[in-house]
Amino acid sequence: MSKILRINMSDLGHKWETLPKKYETLAGRAFTSAVIHNEVDPTCHPLREKNKFIISPGLLAGTMAPSSGRLSVGGKSPLTGGIKEANAGGLTATRLGYLGLQGVIIEGAPPVETKDWYSIYIGKDKCEVKKTSDYAGIGLYELIGKIWKDYPSKPGIIGCGIAGQRLHKGAGVFGNNVENTDPGRYAGRGGLGAVLGSKRIIAIISDASDGSRPEAKDKDRFEKGRKAFKKALDNHALTGRLNNEKGEPYGALKNYGTNVLQNILNEAGALPTRGFRTGRFEDAAKISGEAVHDLIDKTRKRFGDKAEGKYGHACHPGCVIACSNVVPYEKTGKAQVSPLEYETAWAFGTNLGIGVLHDVAEMNRICNDLGLDTIEAGNAIAMFMESGLIDFGDGPAAIELLMKGYHPESAKGALVCSGALTAGETLGVSRIPVVKGQALPAYDPRPIRGIGVTYATTTMGADHTAGYTIAAEIVGIKGTVTDPKAIDKAELSRTFQATTAYIDSTGYCLFIAFCVLDDDSGFGGMLDTVNGFLGKDIDVGEYGMAILKNERAFNKGAGFTAKDDRLPEFFYTEPFPPHNVVFEVSDEELDAVYKDM
Amino acid sequence: MKVFVKLYATLRKLAPPDNELGEFFEVEFNGATISDLIEQLGFTQEQARIVFVNDNQTSDLLSALRNGDRVVMFPPVGGG
Repeated sequence: MSKILRINMSDLGHKWETLPKKYETLAGRAFTSAVIHNEVDPTCHPLREKNKFIISPGLLAGTMAPSSGRLSVGGKSPLTGGIKEANAGGLTATRLGYLGLQGVIIEGAPPVETKDWYSIYIGKDKCEVKKTSDYAGIGLYELIGKIWKDYPSKPGIIGCGIAGQRLHKGAGVFGNNVENTDPGRYAGRGGLGAVLGSKRIIAIISDASDGSRPEAKDKDRFEKGRKAFKKALDNHALTGRLNNEKGEPYGALKNYGTNVLQNILNEAGALPTRGFRTGRFEDAAKISGEAVHDLIDKTRKRFGDKAEGKYGHACHPGCVIACSNVVPYEKTGKAQVSPLEYETAWAFGTNLGIGVLHDVAEMNRICNDLGLDTIEAGNAIAMFMESGLIDFGDGPAAIELLMKGYHPESAKGALVCSGALTAGETLGVSRIPVVKGQALPAYDPRPIRGIGVTYATTTMGADHTAGYTIAAEIVGIKGTVTDPKAIDKAELSRTFQATTAYIDSTGYCLFIAFCVLDDDSGFGGMLDTVNGFLGKDIDVGEYGMAILKNERAFNKGAGFTAKDDRLPEFFYTEPFPPHNVVFEVSDEELDAVYKDM
Repeated sequence: MKVFVKLYATLRKLAPPDNELGEFFEVEFNGATISDLIEQLGFTQEQARIVFVNDNQTSDLLSALRNGDRVVMFPPVGGG
């Protein structure tokens, strides 16, 4: 990769730039965060012309490295007011990798009075900003079908839906899936869909037709690393192959997806239920990854070749972990939504007290169609339940509420699309589970304090992926689960946050971490692919910390202080059953995570 | 003694066929420790990566079980 494409939406022009030396090793999150830090005024309004929308494929996207086709998008977040990187699979990262693009920087904005909508087409040495007002105001399932009709070369697509077009803060950036049957590959968090909407962009279409696979500088080292890494991933009980020698289920993620976590968090008493009130949900098993697996098997048996349900489904070309799925309708076997992930099953299920898989999957589908982040939308609906406007557990009422998001005249619809904080404050709720304005995901920070430290201190607002300490606290590393009480939470979270920033830049899926932490040959293989690709060695920790430094500096400039690195008050005061604990990490410990930044 | 067991994910194949997902089944247990139970159920300690006894996670597979204990086991799982 060696080029940057810069598009100016104020005059609809573009230019190709040679990659500056300082960005040579930066891709994915390292690239988006460096550009935001260097080029965006941290005090700017996130939904006006001074903000920028940055796209960068991970370093190895498009190569033969396993599970390396992740995409980063970034900008100043309208939800948090701070820096944001959101990450997704889909087709776009590998397409951009084939086109030799390290990043796309979209700046400026059309005049506010404009009624036109645009799309950006990127091909080999070719870029067009096209007026596509017919793409606006329609559901994303329809939109992606239309685009593949207009562009038969099967391009990658990212963009914003109705929620982003209306500048709602819960809007995510959608991506088409590999088969183009679902717009469910979301860089969901932080309202970046609204940043695209503010620039009047519906879709960014990446066509790799005349492109070529990116080549490693040190081919032998890359190849050696790739093989070792693939072997380690295939053999790990979490990331590994579908079945063992006896034909029995083997790899947990391939069989059950990320939603394999539903039952374990429930058993651990750390599954936030009905608006973070208790740690156990009586219907958790019914909406878990195991239940989805069983439903898929059942519909396959009943509908044979016509069944569309799937597990072991890859979220991007070349993913060997394949934790995605296609959830079928029980009555027809046809696809309802893809994927249903843990966070989403939690956000619309457990978090709302809804134990009906169909209803949970339906809300996921509506979000995919509207262009909404499911974690934010689920927490926003929870605010309606907190306020008593609808009841916890009422699936049909929750679906009806979410459907109001389609109607421009509906104030409730606008609230559901605006995130938990806006919805909660408007509805008079005092228990609003957000950090820096972003809603918490599916792990309660009271019994699992390391993840609480991550929620509080990450530059991103409450985000489990920013420093997934669950790996040490619940899941275990190298065969053992460390006693949670024995872990220095600040140190744990800081190490995970830095390592995550590195992984988010390589193009690798974050879930490789489970294998890499467990298996030294996998870790070595991963390093060989990255360093072999670059032709030089980079240090994981230093690389990750440099990213975090840029992000912290931006947030400081935007006005964030230590008081923003805190959890909402109720986590410190309301004991959480069944363990009846509160969040007991001191402010000093929280501030120690970034003591020198 | 009798213990009550719940198995998830890839370990479910070792539960009785009529056992509902998320429900305990009863085991007539002949051994003493968690690792004895794992052996009796027919899988390896490596497969039982995450173990809860009476709601509390434990990493000590040599600790003794008592009559009526509730044991929940998971293979390596993760995601998010």
